[in-house]
Amino acid sequence: MRLRRPDPHTLAGAYALDALSEADRAAFERHLVACDSCRHEASSLREAAGQLAEVTASTPPPRLREQVLAEAARTRQQPPPVAETPGTQRSWLGFTRPTAPRLSVAFAGVCILIALGLGALTLTTQQRLRVYETRSHEIAAVLNAPDADIMTVQATTHGSATVVMSHAAHALVLTTKRLPALPTTECYQVWLMGPHRDRSAGVLPTPHQGITAPMIVSGLANGDRLGLTVEAAGGAKHPDSPPVLMLGLPTS
Amino acid sequence: MTAELPGERPTSPPASDLAGLLAKVARGDEAAFAAVYDQVGALVFGLARRVVKDPAQSEEVTQEVLLEVWRSASRFDPVQGSARSWLMTMAHRRAVDRVRSAQASAEREARATLAATDYDVVVEEVEARLEAQRVRRCLDSLTELQRESVTLAYYGGYTYREVAGLLGVAVGTVKTRMRDGLIRMRDCMGAGQ
Repeated sequence: MRLRRPDPHTLAGAYALDALSEADRAAFERHLVACDSCRHEASSLREAAGQLAEVTASTPPPRLREQVLAEAARTRQQPPPVAETPGTQRSWLGFTRPTAPRLSVAFAGVCILIALGLGALTLTTQQRLRVYETRSHEIAAVLNAPDADIMTVQATTHGSATVVMSHAAHALVLTTKRLPALPTTECYQVWLMGPHRDRSAGVLPTPHQGITAPMIVSGLANGDRLGLTVEAAGGAKHPDSPPVLMLGLPTS
Repeated sequence: MTAELPGERPTSPPASDLAGLLAKVARGDEAAFAAVYDQVGALVFGLARRVVKDPAQSEEVTQEVLLEVWRSASRFDPVQGSARSWLMTMAHRRAVDRVRSAQASAEREARATLAATDYDVVVEEVEARLEAQRVRRCLDSLTELQRESVTLAYYGGYTYREVAGLLGVAVGTVKTRMRDGLIRMRDCMGAGQ
């Protein structure tokens, strides 16, 4: 018999079939983090669901192969995940990527943000630490801060955010990559979610080729987490939906 | 069938070793990436065609998925599942994202009929494939409601709430049928190996 109270265990099938709404998926993935047996079941059901693609196999046009191989040849690859320093407390949400890479090197941050901001997937100018004139001084200050920390976190939906944070500047720079597109009636809103209250940090800029331009978020306080929610266009006063992305910020 | 590898790579693993290929792809091995494409290109494209329908968009999805494989091969973690599952999860999510973000609900209503009916037609096209036959046998072993719930979600890209609406049954029922159906699929395919 089904109880009224929603039992997250029963969502494993719908999850494996990608049949959950974003909010349901976020909730289920939070549940997975704490439940080993559920994670195991979800993974085995994913394997089963993946088999369903066997019956729809269809040879793509030959030119697609050439296209994909050529595109790969000029696309930069992601580095493998780097183990976190023990003792640091960070909460990375996202079941599929429990170990997000973290390099505490401002240099890498600048390179990545420039690359993301420009949508450039090939980083041929890694050595050139120039922050482009169009970027504000504030952004440059965070990127070049000696204490800058870089963090990448996967969204519960799709895509990811990269954050470069400076304790000294009480600010961070945020870019996102390949978040699901939203209808014009909705937007992504950035929040600083503190122990006492949530503050809006504004609406995420419109992405170009899936990538949003660097956005500065200032006025960080200890204990803040960075959250991203889907709100009605123009933004909301308070977060009205479960975050599609959440990042615990390191405390100074 | 072995994959064609442009450029001789005597040390390449057998084509069936997708995880091994991914490890090479992670190190920037373009020949290994071509072998991955040859192994899964038809699976990804076929799934995209099924979910997205539009051929041009399906090609885009296929390209996006394969490039995502190229970019993030280093993130594949064998502990969390097989290489094929990792890859097909990415493919399915991307295809589903495409239809959910792009298509108006009216259009999606129209696809409901398609999703429910052309399963048999598609199956016939690839019946020669042993694996496909096995999957079909397993699908046939599900109850009708389990099968409809699973195929509408997977091939139709519908959420379980939408599936419940389409089938006119309670949301809770659809949830459990999806899970029971996949468990049965899993056990059926595991037994047939």
